[in-house]
Amino acid sequence: VKRLAGLALASCVVARQPLVVPANDVTTVMLVTGELGHPIENIARHPWLAVRRAGEAEWTLYEVPSTTSTSDPFQHSPYLDPILHKVWRGAEADRAADCIEHHAEAIIRDIDDHYVFYPGPNSNTFGDRILRACDLHASLPSTAIGKDWRGWIGAGVTSEGTGLQLETPLVGVKLGLKEGVEIHVIGLSIGIDFWPPAIILPLGPGRLGFADR
Amino acid sequence: MKAWAVVVALCATAHADPVEDAGGVAWMHYEATAVHDVAQTRGVPPARDLALASAHLHGILAPRHSRFGLHAGFDLALGATARGAAFAYDVQLVPIGIGMRLGETSFIAVAAGAGAMGAPGTISGAATFPVELDAEAGRGVRVLARARVLLVERASRSDGSPSAPFGDELDAMLGLRIGSAYDEYGFPSGNGLFVAAAYREMYGARYAGVTLGYSIDIARPR
Repeated sequence: VKRLAGLALASCVVARQPLVVPANDVTTVMLVTGELGHPIENIARHPWLAVRRAGEAEWTLYEVPSTTSTSDPFQHSPYLDPILHKVWRGAEADRAADCIEHHAEAIIRDIDDHYVFYPGPNSNTFGDRILRACDLHASLPSTAIGKDWRGWIGAGVTSEGTGLQLETPLVGVKLGLKEGVEIHVIGLSIGIDFWPPAIILPLGPGRLGFADR
Repeated sequence: MKAWAVVVALCATAHADPVEDAGGVAWMHYEATAVHDVAQTRGVPPARDLALASAHLHGILAPRHSRFGLHAGFDLALGATARGAAFAYDVQLVPIGIGMRLGETSFIAVAAGAGAMGAPGTISGAATFPVELDAEAGRGVRVLARARVLLVERASRSDGSPSAPFGDELDAMLGLRIGSAYDEYGFPSGNGLFVAAAYREMYGARYAGVTLGYSIDIARPR
């Protein structure tokens, strides 16, 4: 029964992107998240942006609390069950890598200085901020609690870039062409993603339907 | 002598490390519940079905080695009634309570507070004053129980519970979690999916149904 329950939680997403490390012929930037450890592995994820310049073997992982290097961007202890959310390659990735290099240090330092595990600002707030700062159109999963932290009150364009959101620590809402409708209550997200279609849930990979990309 | 006692007490307080000396247990549930009326004592109630998605976050804060502590919790449910597809809500803060720890992560706890519950067009919205009893026992495989009696500040909903020893409404849940237990980083914890029988009484009607949920518990060893 435990295995079935685990399978049910893990198999909520159809057509996940395979965890394949791309060739290093061009610059690559990837948005990856992994589960936190027990017992919150099914309700909380942590993001990192993996950057590798053309011709290089090592990846630089940008995340809170610090920047690290690795040869495998998907094996990032202690985080489990990595999900690849988005990949940028070539000229787009060159621009993204420059931007991340330029902005990440200041955002990481700011979040480290004001870090609050729940509801934020935390590592997921960093993920959302760096995506928006660098116009990297992607969404963090709903279980990346803290991604919608905008302080006591905040409004703006979503990280995906096709919607708007209004947030407070207690309640918030996100509306967008691609993002769909997402309601946030005390950091929990519930809603409907229009594209790729899915029901947004505050559990497991954060959605029931097709993988986001 | 009295002065010495005061000095000793102050010194002890001054050397106390609030983090090191704190203990307790916390639990969180995500639940999806659907109930349907199965018996009526006052005719057909305004809502015959109720479906709610909810989050429950509670904890017992206790001195590190104590069995007893303060219990507080926050519960939020959003959903709908079937008739009229009315938006339904049930929210409460229960900040005043006591709890008793049993074993590593098991407990029994009671708390009281205030909230609001309603579904515009079907269930009259009202302030509620709940008294809630929570009990959980076991580790990965865990019995989960909750019973709540509500005083409801709305005449049309008063005395709506045929069974509650006091108060106007009642709801309860009894379930079994088939999950996992962990002892990582020195904290006993557990999580997993659960299924439960759900029961509610309001407007003189008895409702029964099912709850599917996911629960997490974590404690600091005593």
